[in-house]
Amino acid sequence: MAECGEISMMLGAFEDSELEPNEMQEVAFHLARCESCTGILGDYSTLGRNLRSIAPEPKLAGFSSAVVARVERLPQPVLTRIERWLRRQADSVGSGIAWSGAVAAVAVATIILMTPYAEQFANRGPHSTTSIAETGHEAATAANQVAQATASEPTMADNDSHADISRLESENHSVAVWSEPRRGTTVIWLPDQP
Amino acid sequence: MRTPGRQDGDEAELIDRSRKGDSQAFGVLVERYQRRVVGVALAVVHNQDDAIELAQETFVRAFENLSKFESRSSFSTWLYRIAANLAIDFWRREGRHVVLHGEDADEEISRLPSSRGDSFNEASRSELSARLKQALEELTPEHRAVILLREVEGMSYDEISEVLQCPRGTVMSRLHYARTHLRNILKDVAGS
Repeated sequence: MAECGEISMMLGAFEDSELEPNEMQEVAFHLARCESCTGILGDYSTLGRNLRSIAPEPKLAGFSSAVVARVERLPQPVLTRIERWLRRQADSVGSGIAWSGAVAAVAVATIILMTPYAEQFANRGPHSTTSIAETGHEAATAANQVAQATASEPTMADNDSHADISRLESENHSVAVWSEPRRGTTVIWLPDQP
Repeated sequence: MRTPGRQDGDEAELIDRSRKGDSQAFGVLVERYQRRVVGVALAVVHNQDDAIELAQETFVRAFENLSKFESRSSFSTWLYRIAANLAIDFWRREGRHVVLHGEDADEEISRLPSSRGDSFNEASRSELSARLKQALEELTPEHRAVILLREVEGMSYDEISEVLQCPRGTVMSRLHYARTHLRNILKDVAGS
């Protein structure tokens, strides 16, 4: 038979059913013959009941809402917020719609980037209505040349200036109108008022 | 009460939604584990107001660190571990020894069935209650935590080992020490 000192070390674990099966058997065998250890085991059992009885029941009214409120006030890094927003969007609207949104965003970006070229393309038409009054040095030089020499000529390319004039059109000789495809503009030149 | 273990599908989804910032989903998890998280904190600090404050902090920390939680382990054990660490740190920092608030404790003890041959039978029950509270105060937080997690929260030795991050053998020896200590004190009360 095992000694009381050895068994007493295992009594708590026996009470908790945390011993190996062979140890449980050994302690049970000892307890059947030892009043002292049986008394200790009884004390442990009563101690457990007493501890449970004095444990206060936590006051949890409003606990979870308080935690949620704190969690919602937490500062989040911008990247995390964007990531979470994107994840929520992807979850709520589905990946298909998310992809559609992404495609639409790319399309809009393309249109924005391509607009100058689109204007340039439109300016090549026979009667462009888009005009930009330009008063820069290059335009003024070209306009002077055109107004003095070849205002009635239908087309002209001035290679000396940076303005690539492809077309002149004006019924009024005091006004010069020409298009500059390279710059994507149509220039209207007006003389200074007296 | 839920027993700790690997999370079911519902819990995994709640955790996933919480990771994405869904505070309402996290609120469901809080409701699910709040009592036991408070219990773990209470086992260490032995003061209800402090325990509730620490439990709130536990959940906030858990929310902030959800990305670090590995789904292979139990979510509840992970939570209890945070609570135990915060509570032990708090106890060491504050070094408080506050009497446990249990207004109904005396009444509860008076309702306990008496068991013949117990050392406790001879002690007056109100004195027993007061002495037991005092005896708990005399334990170190580690010993108190082990015995309260076992006796009040009903945790297994393996769970206690995980929560307090100590070997199972340490859990057993601490429990043995705490039980022997409390029993001796209560025997003194019974003998006086």
